[in-house]
Amino acid sequence: MWSKTMLLVCLTFLFTLAGRAQESESSKDRIIEDLRGEVARLRHDIDSLKSLRHSDLLTQSDMLDRLEESLEKRLTYLETKIDAVSRATAPVAFNPGMTAFINFAARGDSKKVYDLADPANEISNRPFLRTVEMELLGAVDPYASAVAVISLENQAGKEFGVDAEEAYGLLKRIPLLEDAPLGMKVKIGKYRAPFGVSNKIHMHDLPWTTRPLAVARYLGTEHGDFFESGFNPTGMDLNFYVPNPIPQTTMEMNLDVVRAGELTLSGGRGGSQPAYIGHLNLSRDWSNQHLLILGLSAYEEHGIAITRLYGADITYKWAPLEERESHSFVAGGEVFAGRHLFTDSATAVSSNSPVGWYGYLQYQTSYWLYLGLRYDWVEEPSNDRLVTRSAGGYASYYTTEFLRLRLGFEHRWSDIPVQNNVNTVLFEINLVFGSHPTEPYWVNK
Amino acid sequence: MMKRISGFILLPLLALCALEQSPAREGKLKIVTTLNYLRYVAQEVGGDRVTVVALANARQDPHYVTPTPAMNQLTSDADLFIENGLSLDIWQKNVVDASGNPAIQPGSPGHLVATVNVPVKELPTEVSRAWGDIHPQGNPHVWLDPLNIRIIAANIAERLKQLDPANSAYYQSRFEQYKGRLDAALFGEELVRALGKSGGDVLVRKALNNELADWLKLRGLEGKLGGWMKEGASLNGLKVISYHKTYIYFADRFGLQLTGELEEKPGIPPPPQHRDAVVEEVKREGIRVILNDNFYSREAADYVASKTGAKVVITYLDVGSLPEVDTYEKLITFLIQNISQAAR
Repeated sequence: MWSKTMLLVCLTFLFTLAGRAQESESSKDRIIEDLRGEVARLRHDIDSLKSLRHSDLLTQSDMLDRLEESLEKRLTYLETKIDAVSRATAPVAFNPGMTAFINFAARGDSKKVYDLADPANEISNRPFLRTVEMELLGAVDPYASAVAVISLENQAGKEFGVDAEEAYGLLKRIPLLEDAPLGMKVKIGKYRAPFGVSNKIHMHDLPWTTRPLAVARYLGTEHGDFFESGFNPTGMDLNFYVPNPIPQTTMEMNLDVVRAGELTLSGGRGGSQPAYIGHLNLSRDWSNQHLLILGLSAYEEHGIAITRLYGADITYKWAPLEERESHSFVAGGEVFAGRHLFTDSATAVSSNSPVGWYGYLQYQTSYWLYLGLRYDWVEEPSNDRLVTRSAGGYASYYTTEFLRLRLGFEHRWSDIPVQNNVNTVLFEINLVFGSHPTEPYWVNK
Repeated sequence: MMKRISGFILLPLLALCALEQSPAREGKLKIVTTLNYLRYVAQEVGGDRVTVVALANARQDPHYVTPTPAMNQLTSDADLFIENGLSLDIWQKNVVDASGNPAIQPGSPGHLVATVNVPVKELPTEVSRAWGDIHPQGNPHVWLDPLNIRIIAANIAERLKQLDPANSAYYQSRFEQYKGRLDAALFGEELVRALGKSGGDVLVRKALNNELADWLKLRGLEGKLGGWMKEGASLNGLKVISYHKTYIYFADRFGLQLTGELEEKPGIPPPPQHRDAVVEEVKREGIRVILNDNFYSREAADYVASKTGAKVVITYLDVGSLPEVDTYEKLITFLIQNISQAAR
C-alpha cells in the first residue's frame, strides 16, 4: 500500500511538471509562429524601404525618420513578445495534458449508516476525502490519442485504493482501412462503459453528491452510492454514426466487447467469457439552445451465470444563446431492468430481475448557482422484492468552473431496515487544477 | 467463442463500409468552421468550389459553445476544419475528437488554425488560473481588425490551394478579389484605385505603421480617404469601457481608447465592488460609452450607466448575429456606426 502511494505521488509530481509543460509548449509553438510572421513582415517593410529610397516616391528625410521610428517600435514589440515567451514556457515537449481533481464530501445522518461492503464499518456523520484523481491526456501519434485517469479512492474511510479509473487508447483511423467509415472510433483499454448517461460521468463531474441508486446498485459499486462507483470494464468499444432517416437528428452507436463479471449485477459470477454492450443514442439539437437525447442500452453475458441489463435514458438540456453562462435547465432520467440467473450453493437455479430508475431536474439561476432535485427508486440486485427509494435536493455554488461547493439533503426509505428513514445532509467541495482547458460546466459538456 | 467475438466486431465493420455515405457534394470541398466570420471568409475565398457551414450560432458567446452530436456528425465528413484558435473556440477539440474524421485532426492539412501569423496582442507573461479565464496565447478577438482578416483570408486561400491544387488559380483569384473588396471597404474605393494595382498593400503597410494620415497628406491624397478609416475617424480618441476585453484590435485600428472592463477578471461576472470602482473610473475619465456584447448580461453595464449617464451599446461580434449584419463588411460598419452614434 505504502509503495503504491509513493509511486502515485512520484507519478503525480512528474505528470504535474509534464502537463504544465505541454500546455506551455503548444502556446510557445504558436507564439513562435506568430513571431516568424512578424519578422517576415518586418523584412518586407525594410525591403520596401530600400527600394523606395531609390525611387521618387520617397525623397524626404523626415519620412525616412518616421519609418525608421515605426520599425524600431515594432522591433521593440517583438522583443517584448520574445521575453514573454521565454518567461511563460518551459523547454519540454510531447507530454500529456494533466489535470488534478480533489473531491471532499461530508455527511450528517439522522441514524447510523454503514458501508455496503462491510456492514460493521460505520460511515455516517463524518467527512471524507473521497477521491484524488489525475487525468492525463495526449496524442500518441497522428492517428491515436490516449487517456489515463489514475485515482486514489477512499475505501469507505478505511484506506485509499489506487485505481486506474480509466486507461485507454482511442484510434481515430481504423487500421488496415486507413479511414474511419461513419466517423468510427475504436477505444481499447479500461473505460467507463457507454451504458446510459450517468455511468460515463466521473464522480467529480456529477451534478449530485451521490451516484443514482440504480447506477450504483446495478452497474458498479463497492462501498455504496456515496463513494466512487460505476461500471468501468476492460474491453474494446466501437463508436460510429448510424445513417438514419429521421431528419435533423443524429444517431450514434456504441458496440463493446468487455470482460465479464465486472458488472455489479453479475454478483462476481463472471468467468473468462466476454460480455457485450450496445448503446444507441438519438439526439436532436435546436440552434444550440435545446438538446434532446434519447438512449437505449443493453448488456449481456453468458457464462457460469447469465446476466442481462437493459436501460433507457432521456436528457433534455436548455441554455439560451445570450447570457448562456448564467442560465440553463436540464431534466433527465434513466430506467434499468436487469436479469441475473445463477446457480446457488444448493445447485438450484436462482434468479433476480430487479428494476430501478431515477429522474432529476436542475435549473441554473445565475453564473454561480444551480438548484436541483432527484428522485430514485430501485429494487435491490440481490433480492428484487426489496425496494429502496430516495428523494433529495441540492444547491451547487461555483466560484468558477474549477471550484464548486455543494450542499444537499436526501431522505431515504427502504425495505432494508438499516437503510430505512434516513435523513442525510451532504456537503461537497470539488477542486480542479492543472492544464484542463476552460470548459462550460458539466451541463454544457 | 472466438467466432462469436469476431462476428460481433467484423459484421458491423463490414456493414458500415457498405453503408458509408458517398460524397454527394459534386466535387466541392466541404468546409466546417467554428465561427460564422470564418464561414463568411472561407465562402468568399472558396466561391462555388466549396460548401461551408459554421458550428456556432452567431449570437452566442464564442467561448461557450456546447458541442453537440449534430456538430460532431456534421464534421465527420469535412475536408477542411477551420478554427479561430488562440484558445477562443477550445470547444472545437471536443467536436474534432468526436467527429471520428482522421482528415481534420490537428496537424493534418484538413485542420487550419485561421489566425496563424496574425500579430497577437496581450500575450500573458504568467499563465495562471489566478488571473481568471485568461487566454494563454493572447487576446483571441483578432477578427475585429480588418487588417487581420486579410491574413486570415490568405491562410484560408493557401490551405484551399494545398487541399485542392486543381483549383489553385481559382482560389488565388478569389482571394485577390476579396482582398480588393476589403481594401476598398477599409480605405475607400477611390483611394485604392488611385494608387494602382498594389495600392491596397501600400495602404495596409502604412496603416500598420500608424503613418497613413501623414503619408496621404504628403501625397495630397487625404481627401480621397474613404471607407471605414474615414468613417471610423469619429472614434479616434473616444474613451470607452467594455464588458470583456473584446475590442482591443478594433480599438487599435480605429483609435478608440479602452480604459477598462466591467469584468474584474476575464470570464468571471463583475462583483458589486468592482462595478462601483468602474463607476468611479467612468466619472473620472468622462467616459460616455459602455460596450456590452449581446451574449453577456447587461446588468452591470446598466448599473454603471444609471450612476454615470454613460450610454450602453449592445454590440455583436459575429457575421449573421443580426439579419442586417450578414457580411463581415457590414459587421464592421455596424460597430463603427453604433459606437459613433452613442458617442454623439
